[in-house]
Amino acid sequence: MSLSQVLSRLARGAALAAALAVPLALPAAALAQGYDPMAPRGGAPGFNPMLPGGAAPGAPSAAAPAESDVPTNPELGGIPDTAGAEETFYLCSACHSMATVTSQRLTDERWDYTWTWMVEDQGMPEMDAETKALILSYLKRHFSAER
Amino acid sequence: MLNDDIPAQPTPSEDGQAEPGRRGFLKGAGLTAMGALLGTSIPFERNMPPGLVPVALAQDTGAGLMGEKNGLTLLNDRPVNAETPAHLLDDDVTPYERLFVRNNGLVPQHAMDMSADGWTLTIDGEVDNPLTLTIADLQNDFETVTAPLWLECGGNGRAFFQPGASGNQWTTGAIGCPEWTGVRLKDVLERAGVKSTAVYTGHYGNDVHLSGDPSKEVISRGVPIEKAMGPENLIAWAMNGQPIPALHGFPLRLVVPGYPGSASQKYLTRIWVRDREHDGSKMTGYSYRMPAYPVAPGTEVPESDMVVMLDMPVKSLVTFPQTGVEVPAGRPAEVRGHAWSGKGDVAAMHVSLDFGQTWQEAELMAPPNPFAWQRWTANVTPPQAGYYEVWARATDKDGNMQPPVVPGWNPRGYGNNMIHRIALFAV
Repeated sequence: MSLSQVLSRLARGAALAAALAVPLALPAAALAQGYDPMAPRGGAPGFNPMLPGGAAPGAPSAAAPAESDVPTNPELGGIPDTAGAEETFYLCSACHSMATVTSQRLTDERWDYTWTWMVEDQGMPEMDAETKALILSYLKRHFSAER
Repeated sequence: MLNDDIPAQPTPSEDGQAEPGRRGFLKGAGLTAMGALLGTSIPFERNMPPGLVPVALAQDTGAGLMGEKNGLTLLNDRPVNAETPAHLLDDDVTPYERLFVRNNGLVPQHAMDMSADGWTLTIDGEVDNPLTLTIADLQNDFETVTAPLWLECGGNGRAFFQPGASGNQWTTGAIGCPEWTGVRLKDVLERAGVKSTAVYTGHYGNDVHLSGDPSKEVISRGVPIEKAMGPENLIAWAMNGQPIPALHGFPLRLVVPGYPGSASQKYLTRIWVRDREHDGSKMTGYSYRMPAYPVAPGTEVPESDMVVMLDMPVKSLVTFPQTGVEVPAGRPAEVRGHAWSGKGDVAAMHVSLDFGQTWQEAELMAPPNPFAWQRWTANVTPPQAGYYEVWARATDKDGNMQPPVVPGWNPRGYGNNMIHRIALFAV
């Protein structure tokens, strides 16, 4: 397989990832069955056990960027197109889909732990300090339980 | 084979010639950058010839098989993970096309080929007589058992934890109860002669790590020897009367009902009887572990205070009707579903139509065998037109009930057995 095939495959993975969280058959929303009280809520800041659940029915809300005014990049699996997006996409999607990333809402500490776990346990190459800081700040900005 | 396009999804164009990297990250010497990112995920990367592609990219994810599933929600395509909406789990025996998919790695080639040639299972470690068994040996030398047994992912319900927990964001659908055929794990362990020093089992399969590194274990979990010797556990070669599908562990897997699904190793090649708690991949750290004490949501729990998750909690689902349907006001409406518990039988099932203020007992059937989920049925009557929720609550034989809210926050979001609720509109 040539490099261009690898790149094209990565791009295809991105398109697949962008299509994730779409049910393989009829989306529940299309069934017009109304309100699903079990639908999970996206990462609301802070913790309040009295918050009502329930959102639009259908698939779990995965890749909703924290800020709705940030454009997403379909070439990069539909992730928010801000500083660090490309580096994050290439590093993470070398082994797993971007859905593995975009469905998370983690604390900063958990993202740091995840990075270490990926390097020490899962064979991810360690990055230089600058790249590591860039990717981690990107993850903490967009896929956070804190903001 | 790079066929992981999912049917009915748009197929991206193939003109991606260096396009994704055009803005600099892979600019120029593409291979150097690619090597820095992809190359290092394979062993001995320093010796990797230029242009060699990591095996991970050549190994099938199994996503191409998802066209055989019907109505599942795809959570991830690498590794493939998909769950089943509650109303599609109404069958007493879950058919293949409705069974959730939980993969930690890539589907091994033998399974993609559905070829079991030369397959053996090794039983070794703290045993008097280590065994290497073919599938024919298992079929010929031990009593064959066929039974519906439920499997549930330890992280089923993770999506409801606040703050969020890492892992697949399962809602309610990482559960199913297919019918399995195989031999009792206990019978095979007894043939090998378990020593008094045996403490735990360690399970091994041959699925492929996401990085493509053949030296890396994808997942290797185990159970206390007391659980392993229970009569409910099977070494299975068939599901619903057919060879186990590639996505579910062809040709051989463990079925250890009552425990997190990850104890039911797929693509099973070895059971290592240990003299200590197993320490394989995803046994340690935070994987399939809970804090040893109750913690507030968001707490950073030290790794040393995490303990292995054993029995799954008592739980149930409303599988009929689908949430959000209209029913006639003032008339009984049938609701039904399944109930199950990691400790075995469920003792009672109740439903509420008024947000848990009053409860009525549902009819609960005995399971056809231990660790098959149990059918429950009830009739609820909305007194007038308007919005209602059906809440369904199972109680185990020790009196433990499902809670109405997410129980015990934990760092990885395991064991959420909160009450399942569906909406009804009475008209």
